[in-house]
Amino acid sequence: MKLYDVKLLTITCEILAQKNVIDILKNHEITGYTSYEVDGNGEKGLRGQGIQAEKNVKVEVIMREEKLSAVIEDISRTLFPDFTIILYVSDVGVVRTEKF
Amino acid sequence: MDILELIQSNLLTPIILFFLFGIIAARIKSDLKIPEAISEFLPIYLLAAIGLHGGIEMRKTGFEEMLVPMLVAIGLSLLFTLNHYQILRRLGKFNIFDSYALASTYGAVGAVTFSVGLSFLKNQGVTSEGYLAAILAVLEPVAFILAIFLTNMAVSKQIRTKKQSFSGDKVSDIDMGMKETKTKLSQVLKESITGKAIVILLGSIVIGYIIGEEGFEPISIVFDDLFTGAIVIFMIEMGIIAGQRLEDIKKVGVFLTSFAIIMPTINGIIGVLVSTALGLSLGGAVMFGLLLASASFIAAPAVLRHAIPQANPSLYITSALGITFPYNIIVLLPIMFTVSTWVHGEEAIDLFNYVSKVFI
Repeated sequence: MKLYDVKLLTITCEILAQKNVIDILKNHEITGYTSYEVDGNGEKGLRGQGIQAEKNVKVEVIMREEKLSAVIEDISRTLFPDFTIILYVSDVGVVRTEKF
Repeated sequence: MDILELIQSNLLTPIILFFLFGIIAARIKSDLKIPEAISEFLPIYLLAAIGLHGGIEMRKTGFEEMLVPMLVAIGLSLLFTLNHYQILRRLGKFNIFDSYALASTYGAVGAVTFSVGLSFLKNQGVTSEGYLAAILAVLEPVAFILAIFLTNMAVSKQIRTKKQSFSGDKVSDIDMGMKETKTKLSQVLKESITGKAIVILLGSIVIGYIIGEEGFEPISIVFDDLFTGAIVIFMIEMGIIAGQRLEDIKKVGVFLTSFAIIMPTINGIIGVLVSTALGLSLGGAVMFGLLLASASFIAAPAVLRHAIPQANPSLYITSALGITFPYNIIVLLPIMFTVSTWVHGEEAIDLFNYVSKVFI
């Protein structure tokens, strides 16, 4: 079966930044994403325990390459200074490219 | 009863003992923890119980009585927030964002602290005015709204001066920033009013008002008899979270640590005196003082992280939860109770007459 190349953007951030991330995606007309609660350790110490507002989430978005750099730029500009956030991009293949 | 004696006997109540137990459990790195669903459920339960009681009481007393105390509480809350800001900014040398975030955290109210206060009074065999629950609901967003408004004013002022120096290029960026600032405030207002704490509290007040004493009878086993027990379970969780943050308290610094103890004491005692002057009962004055003394640690991060993202959340969460909350429920509650007993014992009636002459 033929697979089409698209990009997977993964954003791990504090739960209170999730809405901002999704708003940015919406601004770029991306409505589909998957998110789940996670915990982990990093620069800001162990996260994901205790208060609900201090949890971490992971947001996964598949998109075409054309939109990618604009989305990343928006996230870096508005969220990097104030929020706990890590993002990375990977190459993935999908069957139905028209969905993205 | 002597203050120290009262603090001592307060220390030996199940609520405080389980809180301290939670801290110990966290310190010895036990894997003890309250299941997430329960620790999310308990604040909702506590607010529902507070609301129902408030509503039932308000049915008996009517609305007129609460108007003056509510307006005074709002006024004091705003005044204290401004005062906190000046102290933090000028004496504490915190940046604008941290100062406003901390100022509003301490100007806002803590629902958990309020619940502990109610059960403390129950323990002492004293009742309080039901409409205090309504004041709790109204006060919740007030301090945040003020702080967010002032922060945005300061930020847009900065942006404006930057704009003048740049003149020309990057205008679109700056315009966008200005627009964001304006929409932020209405968003926060909407979010905090439709937030779960206020919705459940106001909803329960209305339902309590409708059902009254007879309607409450069949559900009183859940919302009355279980109230203190539920707080006890929640206190284990609070203790664990506070215990996990003990190291962070060192990072908070001496200034903020003393701020987190001294400000609630001053605010609380002012609250007790003012509310006594307004004619609130012994217990009511304690709860009124506690409203003004308490700091918000459940609502604050959720609101402030969006509205003032530049502020460091570990500052306001750690100081409110790790220092002020234990201090309030262990030490300040008995102090306010004693002060309230003094002022009610002697001049309560005179003060009331004096104030009503001034106001009316």
